[in-house]
Amino acid sequence: MINLIKNFITGSISLLKGLLVTLKNIFAPTTTIQYPTQKLKMTERYRGLVDLRRDKCISCLQCVKICPTACLALTSKLTEEKKKALESFTYNMELCCFCGLCQQVCPTSAIYMNKIYEVTTYDRKKLYINLLDPEKYVAWTSAVPK
Amino acid sequence: MFTFLNLIFMVMAGVMVLGFIAVSAMFLIWWERKVSAHIQNRYGPMRVGWHGALQSVADVIKLLLKEDIRPTKADAWVWWLAPFFAVVPSVMAFVVIPFSKELIPRDLNIGVLYIMAITSVCVIGIFMAGWGSNNKYSLLGGMRAAAQIISYELPLILSMITVVMVANSLSMQKIVEAQSRCWFIFHPNLALAGLIYIIAATAEVNRTPFDIPEAESELVAGFHTEYSGMKFAMFFLGEYTNVFIVSAIATTLFLGGWKGPLLPPIAWFLIKTYGIITFLMWVRWTFPRLRVDQLMGFAWKFLTPVSFLNLAIVGLLLLK
Amino acid sequence: MEDSLSAQSMKKDIYTEEFLINMGPQHPSTHGVLSLECRLDGEIVMDCTPHLGYLHRSMEKIAENRTYTQFIPFTDRLDYVASINNNLGYCMTVEKLLKMEVPERAQYIRVIMAELNRIASHLIGIGAFAQDLGAFATPLFYGFRDREKILEIFDEICGNRLTYNYIRIGGVQSDFPEGLDKKINEFIKYMKLKIDDYDQLLTNNAILLARSKNIGCLSKEVAINYSITGPNLRASGIRRDIRKDAPYLVYDRFEFDVPLGANGDAWDRYKVRVEEIRQSLRIVEQAIHALPPGNPTSKANRIHKPQAGEVYVRTENPRGELGFYIVSDGSATPYRLKIRGPSFSNLAVLPELVKGLKIADIICILGSLDIVLGEIDR
Repeated sequence: MINLIKNFITGSISLLKGLLVTLKNIFAPTTTIQYPTQKLKMTERYRGLVDLRRDKCISCLQCVKICPTACLALTSKLTEEKKKALESFTYNMELCCFCGLCQQVCPTSAIYMNKIYEVTTYDRKKLYINLLDPEKYVAWTSAVPK
Repeated sequence: MFTFLNLIFMVMAGVMVLGFIAVSAMFLIWWERKVSAHIQNRYGPMRVGWHGALQSVADVIKLLLKEDIRPTKADAWVWWLAPFFAVVPSVMAFVVIPFSKELIPRDLNIGVLYIMAITSVCVIGIFMAGWGSNNKYSLLGGMRAAAQIISYELPLILSMITVVMVANSLSMQKIVEAQSRCWFIFHPNLALAGLIYIIAATAEVNRTPFDIPEAESELVAGFHTEYSGMKFAMFFLGEYTNVFIVSAIATTLFLGGWKGPLLPPIAWFLIKTYGIITFLMWVRWTFPRLRVDQLMGFAWKFLTPVSFLNLAIVGLLLLK
Repeated sequence: MEDSLSAQSMKKDIYTEEFLINMGPQHPSTHGVLSLECRLDGEIVMDCTPHLGYLHRSMEKIAENRTYTQFIPFTDRLDYVASINNNLGYCMTVEKLLKMEVPERAQYIRVIMAELNRIASHLIGIGAFAQDLGAFATPLFYGFRDREKILEIFDEICGNRLTYNYIRIGGVQSDFPEGLDKKINEFIKYMKLKIDDYDQLLTNNAILLARSKNIGCLSKEVAINYSITGPNLRASGIRRDIRKDAPYLVYDRFEFDVPLGANGDAWDRYKVRVEEIRQSLRIVEQAIHALPPGNPTSKANRIHKPQAGEVYVRTENPRGELGFYIVSDGSATPYRLKIRGPSFSNLAVLPELVKGLKIADIICILGSLDIVLGEIDR
């Protein structure tokens, strides 16, 4: 009987302590943000969509070789000065796992990952991106916070 | 006896009660979402209206427009009637809730007894839903609900009876009058009864830590797993109306009802009632839930004997 | 004769039937896509069979067609709650195969990252456990709130929030950015305060105690027979932590305790996790102070061609022993890669634990085992 009452009292105290914790948190500042109107700034190293600085690319095919999901494809041709020039460079976002290996492997940092993180679309075709197109991410840039 | 005026009064009272229930439930849903959100350091609904105040309205519209899906193997009649059985008793309980001295649909001289009788009917609706859905989770939920609500009825009623003994009346208004000097919760004989009432009431309305009939993490959604659209909304409405009812009864029986200084009586009544509801929400979003056997053990081995003891002691003290 | 007849007719009139219920793959608390086939007698569980494989992506076969570096992002997706620890286990295996030395700074950074990730993983484990016990989302949200701080740190270091792909063969992807150690120290201070909150809110809560004490007791013998590892094993009172027993990286330089449970019940498993968060904070604190200078990074573009042979390395994952077994035939891709996931054996013991208990206890025990289906199904 005494045990029962003791248990009841310690139990009630533990419950009250729990209530205090939640009470404290009611008045604590919220940790979430109002997403579409309020956006976090992406960090410096954030890995968003794959992007290309066209002039820097030397068509060494390192990125294509390292890509674990084979989402990059590149063709090039030799110019008159015996240099490789890009002919096409496509990026299949559908397969991309945003691992950042291509960015790390690139000797001239021509391929890099931008800060775009809202990467949904209703049209599957939009996921196949021509990296040589300068306006490829215009539709998505609204996602980048100013 | 049955005059035209009487009829008009009845219709008006009915409309007012229904309107109040709908508005109150919508407010409570919004309020609960806000309270829970802030407990969890979130904002909660923010989009529709000021701080999401109209979110519930949007939800109601959504629920009204939703397709009403009936499981093919469901027991059609039982399944169809269950939501009404769950809602109607809680609406009927409003008949004797005193919002103020005048604002009470009918001050029955057996008000407390009427409430005890009418709110017990809810369990039939829940059990019908559990049985009629022909879903194993629903059946388990329905059975749990029946067992739980019937067990907790006992301490609930016993604690109400102590109040009746002290107040010397079954009428809600007379009980409020009896508290004009001191609220019953501060009455030395009745403090324990108040505590028992609030615990049993939490179980009665299936809220955490006693929410085993719904038990989301175990039974998906318990007895209303198979309900969608407006039928689901009916259960939801019933749940929040029940919460309001038990809190209103707690206000009337233990917190001095509509009595209070300065503010009009109805304001006092609503402040007290919503205060109790907020406390219940606070509890809900803090605690884990008990297991079904622990819940029954708590009711039969602890709460019921204690409330019997309390009843006997209060009776003896009154005899002196 | 008459008696038995009436008993028979009684049996015909009133009989109970056990019924079969399929919890999952779509169920609020199966921690992913797990299906539990439960035979119930009313509320009591007669039998419970886990069915898995809904999340199978044939990771081990994929590994055979990827170079050693290319497989690192795939290990992120094994135990997606603690991906750094998976990266680490895999990369250490390949390093052992290549007999490669890792710079000391990289080793310290790996320890810091792995321990931070362990904290993040345990926070989810605790939160999900409380959620399974019916504490409506509040502890879960607190867990996510505190995990968010870790994710912010990770985001700054490696640029991703869930699948980090941070550890590289022979080093790490990138060095800590400027001012990060200050951020980590701040986090340690913050977390030490918050962990007391968890204690107050959950650990000694009467309802949680009633729900989880003496529920699903995992005895030492059963635990060893089912090869349970990690916090679940330590909750049963067996002192076994690879960080202590066979220290890898620089774990032998840090002071930390191995928290043990007494009974091996659900509460002990929960409690061991809470204590492990404290210990991990201690390790991170020591490591960040002793961080040596140097260049920890390693280039990703090398094609590694190890000598033919086989190698097995185990590391302490938040969920137990994560082992990678690689057979190499000397080419740039593994000949065979086998993953020993801790969650798999931790789940296997579930049917043993739930027999004769209530439905609610299945969920409680499953939550306390803290499984991740991504790793079980691979």
